[in-house]
Amino acid sequence: MASCWIENSTLLTAIVGTWAPFVTFVLIMLFTRHRPKTSAGLSLASATVSLASALVLLGGHWNLQRPLEYTGRWLVSGDIYIPFGYLLDPVSLLMLTVVAIIGFLVQFYSLGYMAGDPGFSRYFALMSLFLWSMMCLTISPTLFQLYIFWELVGLSSYFLIGFWYEKFSAGQAGKKAFVMTRLGDVAMFLGVLLILLHLGNLNILEIDSPKIVGLMPPEMLTLAALLIFGGIIGKSAQFPLLTWLPDAMQGPSPVSALLHSSTMVAAGVYLFERLFPFFLFSSTATTVGLAIGTISMLLASTMAMVSRDIKQIWAYSTISQLGFMLMGLDAGGLFAGAFHLTTHAAFKALLFLCAGVFIHQYGTNDIYDLAAKGTRRMRVPMLCTIIGAGALAGLPPLSGFFSKEVILAKLAGLPNPIWLVAALLGVFLTAYYAFRPIFIMLFPPSLPAANASNAAPEGTRHRLLYRIMVGPLVILAGATVALGFLQTPLRNFLAGQYTGLTTAGGAHLGWLPYVTSLLATGGVALTWWEFGRPGARQTGFVDGIPVIARFFAERWYLDRLYRAILDHAVDRGISAVLAQNDTRVIDGSIDGISRGTVLAGRLAALINAGMIQYRLLMIFAATVLLSLYFFF
Amino acid sequence: MTLHGLIFYLLASVILASTGMAITRRNLVHAVLYLVFSFIGSALLFCLFGAPFLALLQVIIYAGAIMVVFLFIVMMVKPDLSEGTVLPLRQLLPMVLFGFMYAVVGVLVAVTDPAGRAVLETAVAKPTEFGHYVFARHYLAVEIISLILLIGLMGALHLGREKVPKEPEEPS
Amino acid sequence: MIVPFGHVIVLAGALFLLGITCAVCRRNLIMVVLGVEIMLNAASIIFLAGALRWFSMEGQVFVVMVLAIAATEVAIGLALIVYAYRRTGSVDPINFNCLNEQPTGSQLAGFIRE
Repeated sequence: MASCWIENSTLLTAIVGTWAPFVTFVLIMLFTRHRPKTSAGLSLASATVSLASALVLLGGHWNLQRPLEYTGRWLVSGDIYIPFGYLLDPVSLLMLTVVAIIGFLVQFYSLGYMAGDPGFSRYFALMSLFLWSMMCLTISPTLFQLYIFWELVGLSSYFLIGFWYEKFSAGQAGKKAFVMTRLGDVAMFLGVLLILLHLGNLNILEIDSPKIVGLMPPEMLTLAALLIFGGIIGKSAQFPLLTWLPDAMQGPSPVSALLHSSTMVAAGVYLFERLFPFFLFSSTATTVGLAIGTISMLLASTMAMVSRDIKQIWAYSTISQLGFMLMGLDAGGLFAGAFHLTTHAAFKALLFLCAGVFIHQYGTNDIYDLAAKGTRRMRVPMLCTIIGAGALAGLPPLSGFFSKEVILAKLAGLPNPIWLVAALLGVFLTAYYAFRPIFIMLFPPSLPAANASNAAPEGTRHRLLYRIMVGPLVILAGATVALGFLQTPLRNFLAGQYTGLTTAGGAHLGWLPYVTSLLATGGVALTWWEFGRPGARQTGFVDGIPVIARFFAERWYLDRLYRAILDHAVDRGISAVLAQNDTRVIDGSIDGISRGTVLAGRLAALINAGMIQYRLLMIFAATVLLSLYFFF
Repeated sequence: MTLHGLIFYLLASVILASTGMAITRRNLVHAVLYLVFSFIGSALLFCLFGAPFLALLQVIIYAGAIMVVFLFIVMMVKPDLSEGTVLPLRQLLPMVLFGFMYAVVGVLVAVTDPAGRAVLETAVAKPTEFGHYVFARHYLAVEIISLILLIGLMGALHLGREKVPKEPEEPS
Repeated sequence: MIVPFGHVIVLAGALFLLGITCAVCRRNLIMVVLGVEIMLNAASIIFLAGALRWFSMEGQVFVVMVLAIAATEVAIGLALIVYAYRRTGSVDPINFNCLNEQPTGSQLAGFIRE
């Protein structure tokens, strides 16, 4: 294939689009680190190229029937043949486009947000790296390639979360994200090895084909699926590895936007979509996935209900929405998961970018402080936040409503009604926590004096930066509103994927949309009653019960639990044993060996009197013993 | 047993016997003379193996030149002939131990190796052929040999100089 | 039709064993060098037999090498012996042990305690 890749316009577009960010990364790191403007220009240009190529690919293959696969040989080791290439099918094309669009908007936004930062060039280089690894992950034709870029995504998110490395907490958060996702990655790696052992290669299309059921015994299949699901849990911050994501907001806000919407955490859900038929082969794995998605969704919702940090609230909401997606996927709805992933990417990026504008302007994360400083005067970001939160809550005309409704329909089709009930509870809680910060910010108890200089950005340069930041917000808000109405075309587009596996779109219950919107409105109304209505005490019903509030605010003591496990089991238990082993056995034996050697040398020297003939004899003896060893 | 086989066993016993005598003689001159016998026996063996040119070299270089050098050195050094036992026990015992192991390994290899069962056929490499072969194929090796001999010459000259330069730091 | 190849191996091996015995056991430097010569001779014999066994002249060429090495070794080895004899007046290898550092009993005891 290597000879004709130039002629093949599709492949050429894919290569150019996915590798442009990497070229930019190298160029910035090597040449333009001290010229921030050039770096930003380069980075933005490559993001534009990626965006254009992704759109061209999506447009050109809208009626794709069969997956397009281009592979070239990369490594051959014994019987194992490792190809490297591109796999273009509806799932990957959709994801590629989402990543490219969000990446482009976030980079554009960063021009304003990061202006004047000493690490400006580094920031854009890392963003490009992030984008490159995510795009290559998206179009990987083999699990092996996917795993490589999976780790690269983790690495670049580590760089970006700890971007302000002078801040201790940022470095800690980066490390936490890296180590916790790595925990899942180990499981995933084992799962990949298991598949390789049975299938002989890691081609995604072959893993997804039904013949794998014949090649792997059912318990092995379940085990492999569960192990790979472990990787998804780590990457998508699901229970029990969810605590890294709220801390990951230590990075710059645009990074959080990218991380939460389309790259890092979405990679987990994307992997599930990628191996969707494979997971469906094992009913145990899907049930476990359903349970974990549900637990994470409810857990994160409760945490979001009491948090005071605006970015943290959105981070918890990401966890809960990802749990939602996994529920939909595990219930057998590929389109449900993919659609919610797409809409979520739009509104979550919007929410984070809006939060970034507030934080940039007022320098605080606390919603009460923000409210007191007069956030409501920044009309455009505030409006965009409301739109995003509305979509998050699933209010009817916005995109979130449609995608959630698809997932709920899938869940309603399951025999066990508990999943549907849990999901409906989740919808209610989501509406509650999504609108809590909004009402707090909209109706502060005491409005600050109309301080014009504080509210409106002063100076032309400042205003320009503000405009740069607001531009992407408007686009994303438009996307948030519009995406909901693209449901049918997208469904048709994705129908080409895995034909025969997409079961009929669940029981299309007539009452479900009404119940959903009723619950969402109910949640919003409850929030309004507690936070929004004139004279409200601005304390949630959870805050009335301090024990539970504290429980939620401490993230169900998960971090403490992990800490305690680490301290007690690992530090005092295993490490102590190992340390003792180190000092006593290993050190002792090595000391003993060295002392014994010297002692033996001394004793031997005593015997042989340093005579050359004894050395000759030793040589002969060694030769004889060697010959003994070689011949027998 | 063919005539050639008979000659081989005869020569082998001569070589082994004379060598055994050589290494046990207290008088070094006797030892060297026994060894000359051994080397001449080896030369005959070379002849039997179809290398007349090498047999001549063996007689001239080994039995002639080298052994004569040994005799010269023995006369120059005038070693103390009244040393203790010829083969002291504290050196001989470990030697016997390892020598026994070596012999066992050697015999086992010679017996088990299928290549060892092949019977040698007589053939002769004429000196002309041999010379052509050496200088056509291995001229580089010949150059290296000459270099080694040159180094040997220089080393012997350097060591044999009458005035030994005294290095002060070396203990005498 | 001479003899089986294995018999030549046994002969060469026995010769080599005699040589190493001479080199290791005789308390005289000249005999040590003599022992090395015997070992080289054994190597020559097995090379020639191998050449005959596989009908290849490489073995014979190697014997020339062995001869050259032997000559060089004798020249330098004997020169060294003469040199050593001039300096110490002895050819007993037991007198050439200045590399050996005999530890005293107290040093050993202290070392064991460490």
